[in-house]
Amino acid sequence: MTGGLFLDYVDPWINWDWVSRHVSLILTSLLAHVELTVITVAVALVIALPIGVIAQRQPAFRAAALTLFGVFYTIPSIALFALLIPYTGLSTLTGEIGLVAYALLILTRNVIVGLDAVPADVRDAADGMGYRAFARLVRVELPLALPAIFAGVRIATVTTIGLITITAVIGLDSLGQLILTGLTDGVHTPLVVGTVLSVAFAFVADLALAAGERVAVPWARPA
Amino acid sequence: MNWKARPAVLALVLAAAMTVVACGSSPSTGGSKGTITIAGFKFTEGSVLAELYGQALQHAGYTVNFKINLGSREIVAPAIKSGQVDLYIGYAATDLEYYNGGLGEASGDVTATTAKLNLRLQPLQLEALTPSAAVDQNAFAMTKANAQKYNATKLSDLAPIGSQLVLGAGPECPTRPFCQPGLEKTYGIKFKSFKALDTDGPLTRAALANNSIQVGLVFSSDADLQKLNLVVLKDDKQLENADNVVPIIRSKVATGDVKAVLNRISANLTTDELITMNGQVQLYGQDADTVAAAFLQQHKFFGG
Amino acid sequence: MTILEDVVRWFTSPAHWSGPDGITTRLLEHVQLSAESVLIGAVIALPIGIVLGHYGRFGAAAINISNVGRAIPSFALLVLAFQIFGLGDAPIIIALTALAIPPMVTNSYVAMREVDPDVKDAARGMGYRELAQVLRVELPLAVPLVMAGVRTSAVQVVATATLAALIAGGGFGRYIIDGLAQFDYTKLMAGAILVAALALATEFSLAAVERLLVPRGIRLLGASAAKRVTFKAA
Repeated sequence: MTGGLFLDYVDPWINWDWVSRHVSLILTSLLAHVELTVITVAVALVIALPIGVIAQRQPAFRAAALTLFGVFYTIPSIALFALLIPYTGLSTLTGEIGLVAYALLILTRNVIVGLDAVPADVRDAADGMGYRAFARLVRVELPLALPAIFAGVRIATVTTIGLITITAVIGLDSLGQLILTGLTDGVHTPLVVGTVLSVAFAFVADLALAAGERVAVPWARPA
Repeated sequence: MNWKARPAVLALVLAAAMTVVACGSSPSTGGSKGTITIAGFKFTEGSVLAELYGQALQHAGYTVNFKINLGSREIVAPAIKSGQVDLYIGYAATDLEYYNGGLGEASGDVTATTAKLNLRLQPLQLEALTPSAAVDQNAFAMTKANAQKYNATKLSDLAPIGSQLVLGAGPECPTRPFCQPGLEKTYGIKFKSFKALDTDGPLTRAALANNSIQVGLVFSSDADLQKLNLVVLKDDKQLENADNVVPIIRSKVATGDVKAVLNRISANLTTDELITMNGQVQLYGQDADTVAAAFLQQHKFFGG
Repeated sequence: MTILEDVVRWFTSPAHWSGPDGITTRLLEHVQLSAESVLIGAVIALPIGIVLGHYGRFGAAAINISNVGRAIPSFALLVLAFQIFGLGDAPIIIALTALAIPPMVTNSYVAMREVDPDVKDAARGMGYRELAQVLRVELPLAVPLVMAGVRTSAVQVVATATLAALIAGGGFGRYIIDGLAQFDYTKLMAGAILVAALALATEFSLAAVERLLVPRGIRLLGASAAKRVTFKAA
């Protein structure tokens, strides 16, 4: 650990020498961050889709699901991790459970909103054409709900990327470790590098998802 | 750029990144005498010591896995007990009190302390090697201004004025026998309050500088104390015991050759040199591994 | 489950309620840090969002400030504040205020844009001048969504104030950070429960305030703050 007040060495905000000596550390942290993001959003989507579908059809379930996920969302992340630690330890699993819990509200809500937006006539037409319920869902309603779902995925992804930095406090690897190193060692560079990369990653991910949406939903105006 | 290409470019960048990481972490070339995993505590000196002893083993022909900044003793000790790491560089008295559950067996006598430590380690199939002369122990510091104001040069000077002083240290201090409880038990100092900061880090230094704490925990081998106008109060009642640097190793890995290499480093390491190495990292922004390598080269340990 | 029993015992022990590390003190610290930040943030953010929304200017900026804010790790803001401004409550409040501003700007901008243009025309036709129109016609209609923005900010500030313990801040976060460092899982859980309870209490109480502030006519119409721009920083 370093003190902060040296008389002959002023710590620059970015010490490029430090950066060049720590490329592998930076890349490992970035990779861990990317991995955690992908796992979180993928798992949350897999859970949110069926729950969103059911919730959209059943008002009582909708209220219950959104309320429960809303409660998860409101609980500060460090607190949620702390509640899990005695049971799941200082592990990646603890982080993932917490992060997925946060993404659930955004994704479920957007699945519901997306399905709500499907015009009744389209549903009727599909019925008229002989689609059974599941086929109608998968081949008519969900594709039409895609813009809303994509919007949800984008917000959930950017939110998750920011929240992952907090997992450094419970010992998980991510760009947050660079930020934490900046704090504990009293140096600027890891803090700046960790923050800039986190924001850049969020920006790139958002762009990539927007591009993905244009591929998947060519008929819709991107959000 | 064509929007279709953007996701492909992203994938390429990620693939490139993964390749670099994979190449960067590949193990060293073969022909080694075996693999040893060494863990380092999560502070500057921990990294320096882990690099120092680890590189010595590398020079002697072993493949070494470094786990720098692994964590505090609460993380490192279980890791060596379970065999996830083979070796860490500890401190005789603090480690003894960790493994004996805080019984208070440690003393200022390094030989006795290390012997007792080995008694505790043996059932765990661990052993402590020969301790070094280099010492790093908890130290309590005040700013020069406060030391003059309260006329304090040693810790027992604080006993009558404890209620005017705020103690600052890492959050674990109120539960560590060599920290707040020890100050109360051995010196009778009852502080006005305790402020949870960090263990010898920038928060503690900032708090000392702006007088939100009057007494702060530092480490006796810190290199920047003088520059920050901090004076360490003398531990006249020997609360802090023989915290000599000592390698703690799994018996299975402790062959005669390994022990010889490690003991040789310990024998040649002094507190002053430790302070200097810490200073190079803390004050001049150098890396622990570079500093350790320089030390080994300087002392021509391996004919080079 | 014994850890829950320990936690109950922790809460029922009177020693944990008094003193500088007691629940009462920590609660006051946490609420004070959060309230000050949200208030200062509101004083800055609400006028900006309301004015921009009224005139319909710089909409992209007003919306994107939340997108950008959402991407900045709140944890980094706190560390940055310490490294620039040093130790104490002021740096924490600076960081928290910065965090509180984006959701309030965006939500109050959207709130003003959502006001039915016919209503604005009618008001103008009735002779309202600019400021009066904003204050007496548009704002009351915009209030639900404006309050939703304040509510979002408040919950995020309460959440991030928990992390302030990492830069020697007080509040309930202390129990979590100290519990981690001391490997005291009882304190850790107790702190987590307190933080969660405070965040939920903030959300629900401000939602209640929001309902009280909605003009009776709008309430009868069943308007909802469904257009709220959400934000999770911590």
